[in-house]
Amino acid sequence: MTLVYEPGSTPAHRLDPRSKLLVQATFVAAAFVYTTPRGLLALSGLVAGMLAAARTSPLRSLWEFRVVLPVVLAAPILEGLTFGAPWFVLADAIGPALASVRVILVLLVTAAYVRTTPVRESRAVIQRSIPGRPGQFLGMGAAFVFRFLPVLQDDVARIRNAQRVRLGTERRVTERVRLLAVAALAHAFDRADTFALALQARCFAWNPTLPEVRFGPRDLPALALAAALAVAAVVGAT
Amino acid sequence: MSPSHLVDDETTVNVARAALFAALTGAFALVSVTVPVTSIPFTLQVLGVFLAGILLGPVWGGAAMVLYLAAGAVGAPVFQGGSAGIGILLGGAPSFGYLWSFPLAAVVIGYLVHGSTEVRRPSSVSPARLVVAMVVGTIVIYAFGALGFMYVQDVGPEAAVLAGVVPFVPAEILKLLAALGIVRSDVLHAG
Repeated sequence: MTLVYEPGSTPAHRLDPRSKLLVQATFVAAAFVYTTPRGLLALSGLVAGMLAAARTSPLRSLWEFRVVLPVVLAAPILEGLTFGAPWFVLADAIGPALASVRVILVLLVTAAYVRTTPVRESRAVIQRSIPGRPGQFLGMGAAFVFRFLPVLQDDVARIRNAQRVRLGTERRVTERVRLLAVAALAHAFDRADTFALALQARCFAWNPTLPEVRFGPRDLPALALAAALAVAAVVGAT
Repeated sequence: MSPSHLVDDETTVNVARAALFAALTGAFALVSVTVPVTSIPFTLQVLGVFLAGILLGPVWGGAAMVLYLAAGAVGAPVFQGGSAGIGILLGGAPSFGYLWSFPLAAVVIGYLVHGSTEVRRPSSVSPARLVVAMVVGTIVIYAFGALGFMYVQDVGPEAAVLAGVVPFVPAEILKLLAALGIVRSDVLHAG
């Protein structure tokens, strides 16, 4: 199970996506300024509130980020280790350990956004906040990536299965990777060309109709929180 | 609708290929293969970066990697192990430096392989040139990656190299060899 949007009607679902992005960005800034035990404790309380507003389970979210966790745990240990006695210097490991806590908090805030924001809204935000062709390119491109990711994941899974049942796993690693990538690329290029043809047939335009995104009264608490975090970050940094 | 709002045919094909490549890199991020001897599992994300530069060229290869980051930022599960979110790109995860280096690495690899912004037939490029391009690309990725790791995890250069570079070197060599085989096998006509 990977981290994806889940439809719902939680307070976080009803927020304007721009408010949620602002909260995330200012949260990261504040977390970098206040990477102290007290600062991180206060921010943890805030994260608990955000996850509750998004009805997102912290444990399940952490499980979805499990590939990142070994590195996060290894960093303080490696920094604390020394060649020769006393082998481990606790004081050296404290900074990286606090940084690891910060990483986990930021990941949880991110999980709350991803779980509560539909792709169409995120696309609209990209396209409305970055002006001109770059914004249009990023918006349409990101939407296409969402559209094709599951298809290509299926392609890759099918190719790997086919390799496995034909004892392809007995081959050398480079050979396995090469065969997998060649087959996956051939599928991807075929799909891209068919897709491009379909887009041309439908008068693919730079200015599609996007969903309306609008700030409402319910965004006020989120915007106030973002402002408070930004002020706290600036005050703490100076 | 005025014709100027329509995307021209060549751009349409390139946008579609860039998006598909970004999605493929995301699909590769979920493929975990184990290196023999060291038994460290690795994902194929970086293979996506190599191939984007080699097959799409510096301009659209770089654009494909920018789309990869944009899609991941707004929630497509394309980053390592199916993670996503803007928090990761803002310094929320140790992979932050590696991810930001992908567009630059694809541009560098594309430029070194093709010599200009024109895309040549990749199988006509000499293997030595491909290897040099990929080695330089790998150095770009790991230099950014290690710096990002130091910043995010608040560790010194030694720990960053031990945790963020050394374990992955054997896997990078395997990916480089695999990419060489893919390009030389000439089954793809991306130009």
